[in-house]
Amino acid sequence: MNPSRLLYLAIGALALSLVAAPRYAQAQGRVTLDSSYGCVSCHAEHRQSFIAGIHSEWGMRCHDCHGGDPTAFEIASGHRQPFLGNPNKRETVQLCASCHSDPNQMRQYGLPADQLAEFRTSRHGELLLARGIDDGPGCTDCHDAHTILPPDDARSDVHPTNISATCAVCHDDAEMMGPYGIPVDQFETYRASAHGVSLYEKGNYASPTCVNCHGSHAALPAPPGEVPNVCGQCHVLVRQEFFEGPHGDGALEGEIPGCLACHSQHGTEHIPAESVQATCRECHETGTPEDVMAGKLQETLVQAEQDLEEASHSIDELVRHGRDVTSARLRFRTAKANQLQLTLVQHSLDTLRIEDLSRRVRSTSRGIQEMAEVSTEHRWEHKLMTIPVWFLALAVVFFSAVKLSGVRRTYE
Amino acid sequence: MVRKALSSIGTAVSQTWQAIKASTDASILGAARFLGLLYGPIDRSLPIDKALKKSLGYRLAPHVGWRHSLGGIAYLLFVILVVTGVMLVFYYRPSPEEAHASIQHLVSDVAFGWLVRDVHAWSANLIVVALILHMGRVFLEASYKPPRETNWLIGLLLLVVVFMFGASGYLLPWDQWSYWLVAEITHAMEALPFFGATMADAVRGDEVVSGATLSRFFAMHVVLLPWVAAALLVYHFILVRRRGIAPPMDVAGDAPKGAAGPGVPFFPTQLLRSLIVSSLVIAVVITLAAFFPRPVGDPADISTVPESIVTTWLLADVARALIRYVGPSLFFVLVILLGGLAVLPLFDRRPTRDLRDRRMALVLGALFLVVFASAWVAGRQMRDTPPSIAVEQEPVVSEQAPIPTEPLGPRPIQPAQPEDEGGVP
Repeated sequence: MNPSRLLYLAIGALALSLVAAPRYAQAQGRVTLDSSYGCVSCHAEHRQSFIAGIHSEWGMRCHDCHGGDPTAFEIASGHRQPFLGNPNKRETVQLCASCHSDPNQMRQYGLPADQLAEFRTSRHGELLLARGIDDGPGCTDCHDAHTILPPDDARSDVHPTNISATCAVCHDDAEMMGPYGIPVDQFETYRASAHGVSLYEKGNYASPTCVNCHGSHAALPAPPGEVPNVCGQCHVLVRQEFFEGPHGDGALEGEIPGCLACHSQHGTEHIPAESVQATCRECHETGTPEDVMAGKLQETLVQAEQDLEEASHSIDELVRHGRDVTSARLRFRTAKANQLQLTLVQHSLDTLRIEDLSRRVRSTSRGIQEMAEVSTEHRWEHKLMTIPVWFLALAVVFFSAVKLSGVRRTYE
Repeated sequence: MVRKALSSIGTAVSQTWQAIKASTDASILGAARFLGLLYGPIDRSLPIDKALKKSLGYRLAPHVGWRHSLGGIAYLLFVILVVTGVMLVFYYRPSPEEAHASIQHLVSDVAFGWLVRDVHAWSANLIVVALILHMGRVFLEASYKPPRETNWLIGLLLLVVVFMFGASGYLLPWDQWSYWLVAEITHAMEALPFFGATMADAVRGDEVVSGATLSRFFAMHVVLLPWVAAALLVYHFILVRRRGIAPPMDVAGDAPKGAAGPGVPFFPTQLLRSLIVSSLVIAVVITLAAFFPRPVGDPADISTVPESIVTTWLLADVARALIRYVGPSLFFVLVILLGGLAVLPLFDRRPTRDLRDRRMALVLGALFLVVFASAWVAGRQMRDTPPSIAVEQEPVVSEQAPIPTEPLGPRPIQPAQPEDEGGVP
């Protein structure tokens, strides 16, 4: 082929691709937010925030929410009706719901279409929509107005590591919460709780945040009778044990606030074994049969922890002695599993099973300790070996010294 | 009465021995005669008997006393290290997967395996002490002066070789303490100017302490360094024999070089002295091994920094203190001091050996000792601290979002990035 013809062909192909590319994008429903898009000629500050969000990624543009004419470059023609402009909170909820409540539109994104319905049932929705009070948050208070990101995006305000702080923007505001009698220390309490530590310090994203217990769009505090079920969504076995015991019936009948009778709601603190009786005494008086039982339970739990700790020290000692600790470590795991089971079973107050598990912990731990004791005995035998060594050495020294003095006398 | 009984027993034994000698029974004396037949031709070509008699008859200067046994103690410890080291190699397997397990097996299952290992470990410590004391005596008595300056230099080289022996052997147990100590030291080595990074890479054979490092350290410890040490030792002893032991400090000039003449004969006087010292040293080493065995740490784990490092070698403490408290600067001071000691005989050539005339040399030596001892004491104090490499090492976090340390609210929108201008979303 003629080289000049080849060049013409290449230039032609390049020109075709330049023309075809934007048309392809338009055919996919993606209007570019460049200088040809009228809105950004004035509202350039929103352009960057919008294109960072998920809506831009799926091809939505300014006029899809705000209306107006994006092909116009003057204020009047650009804001041509239908033009919504800057919607208020209630309008925003309706605007978002126009798509997010439509199952046919949401199906392709795998999103539920009942968010508005859920929101209406929540305390937030009641305030905002039913009573018209702007203290209730709208969609954009949690999801941002333009940079709307999916919850699994770590930049999102509703990502597990951010959602509780997002809630705290309002719930830490004493002025806003005052009229509703809601305390403002919940976020700080949560951060220090077992759940908060697990999430923020250990990076465990499975740890619950505000929305896991209260719901997200249908956010409400759980009634006391439902608390064991809410906690039981994760603490399945604890819930099972709890309802097998005497406290479970009380919780079902609403006599006690379920888990919250012993563990505070946002603090969710772990109760140390040595504080069990003191916790029980918050409800049961000293000297009652329940108090005596609590004392025994505490003693058993403390003993199991001590047994495990001593077994752990024994393993450390065996390691120092150079012993193979594979078997000891496996036995320790068994004891640890039994001790964990014990912490579950304590919620049922089943004394027979509690005693059985504590015996198992003690027996296994004792076996490990015996291994360490045998090893220590061997080390003692090593020390005894120095007696004949020194006897021999001193004998050599003595006879050599005698001989040496004899030699010296000979020289003298 | 007793004397009479002893005398009759002695007579009986003597008569029995004579009877055995006179016996024609080949089963008892035949073996000895056979060995004699074998030995005869060897002795004719290599007069071993004559050499042995000459050695035993070697006369040492009358002033040679107990203080001269320090070098002998160092040599005895070296021999113990070689013997126990060979025994250890029978069981030790130099690979990251097997090294720790083989030490465990040796200590737990092999008869007297613990003794061999702990005697090896304690001898490695005591040899450093013995060498420093030996060199201290040589230094104070100015025995490094001509004509013995070469031997002083060889001695210093031997000290360095012993340091290298200890350093290369320290990693071999492949437990958390040894692994992270070597990691800390090689990491610090990178900070040395000019050649630090290259040297650290060469020592490790990898970017981190790994199986490659273990192979290198093992090869150094059991293949290369023993030959170097043996060559230097032989040269050291030859020079001791040629130049003789330095005269007393109050005697000007050189000392008599031994051989025939006045003095104390090696046999039996010096041999008996050596026997006394050796017995005591061996008993002390075994006692230390039995009462203070080197603990076995957890197997080395590259992903877990230990909370504390149990150091079991004198110089490991010194190295940690140098790294932690002063960094490479004091290390250089120590190297310069050691270099100063090495070239001392070149500058201090006056025949006088009186301490009052050698103030500069004394200051240099004292400074070295003070820095060394201080670093050791400081290193002992920091046993419960994690390795310094852990402080600089970035925490191992999987690909997760940054965990907020402050309460977060909805964040302001980031300003526009230049590359996004006019971009197509």
